[in-house]
Amino acid sequence: MSVVRNTGFSAQMFEEEVKLSYKGPIDERILSSIGDYINTMESFADANSVKKLFKIFFELSQNISYYSAVKVKMNDNREIGMGSLILKEFDDSFLLITGNPVNNEFIIPILEKSEYINSLDRESLRQYKRDERRRPQGEKGNAHIGLITVALTSANPLDIEVNPIDEETSFFSIGVRIDK
Amino acid sequence: MENIVIQGSHKDYFIPSVNFNAQNGMCEISGESFLEDTVEFYKPLIQWLETYTGEVKKPIAFIIKLTYFNTSTSRSILDLLNVLKDYEDNGGEVVINWHYDENDVDMEEDIEDYMIDTGLDINLIPFSQKS
Repeated sequence: MSVVRNTGFSAQMFEEEVKLSYKGPIDERILSSIGDYINTMESFADANSVKKLFKIFFELSQNISYYSAVKVKMNDNREIGMGSLILKEFDDSFLLITGNPVNNEFIIPILEKSEYINSLDRESLRQYKRDERRRPQGEKGNAHIGLITVALTSANPLDIEVNPIDEETSFFSIGVRIDK
Repeated sequence: MENIVIQGSHKDYFIPSVNFNAQNGMCEISGESFLEDTVEFYKPLIQWLETYTGEVKKPIAFIIKLTYFNTSTSRSILDLLNVLKDYEDNGGEVVINWHYDENDVDMEEDIEDYMIDTGLDINLIPFSQKS
C-alpha cells in the first residue's frame, strides 16, 4: 500500500528560517516548555531580543489558550484553546506568528483595537497601557493589555490577518517582528 | 503577625519567591510570575500589606527582583504598590528597590510606568546578568 506524502507541507516546515512550529492545545505545559526553549536560544542571538521574544510569545500564546474558539477537552476535564505558532529567525529579526479560530463577534473589536494600537506613538501607547491597567481586574478588555504589551515590547506594528472559516468563526492571526 | 514565605518554582507555572517579614518590615518578591490564578496568589500578599500598614505601622522596605511577569501579574503589582502609596500618604515610611537586568530596557520602562501610575519613588537598581 502506498502512502501519499504531502511533501509541500514538510518542505514549508523545514524552511531554513523556521526555528519552531506548533499546532495543538496551548496550556501551561506547552507555554513553559516552548518558553524555556526560546530562552535557550540566547546562545545564538543577543539576550535582549530573546527576552522580548519570550515575553511576546507568552502574551500571544496565553491569548490563544483563553480566547481560541476551538477547545480541546483534556482527560482532567479542562478545556484548552487550540492554536498554532511559527517562529522564524532572520539575520536582523525574529518573526513570531500565532493563529487561532475566533468567534466572529470578537473580530471587529480586535481589529479596531489593533489599528488603534498601531496608530499610537510609544508615549501614547504607554499612557494607554497605564489607563487600561487601572481598570478593575476581570473587566472585559484584559486581552487588549496583552496586545499593548506586545506592541510596546516589539516596538513594531501588529500585523493582523483575518480569514473567514464559516458563518461563526474566522481564523485570526497575528505576526510580530522583533528586531535583533 | 505571621510572616509570608513562599518558595518559588519554575515548572509548568512560574511561581515567584516571596518573603514578607513582619518583624523587620523587609518584603521581597523575586523570580518569575506566571500563575494559574494570579488574583488568588496575590490576594494574601495585598491583605498582608494592608494589615501591616494598618496595625504594625513600622517602616517597610519593599524589594522586587522579578525577571519576568505576565500582564495579569502586572495588575497585581500595581495593587501592591497602591497599598504602599496609601501608607506613605498617611505618614508611613516606605522604600522601594526594584532590581532589574541592566539590558532589560522594557523592564526599566515598566518600572517608570509604575512610578507615573502610583506617584511613588522607586529606586531602580540595575544588575548585570550572569550567563
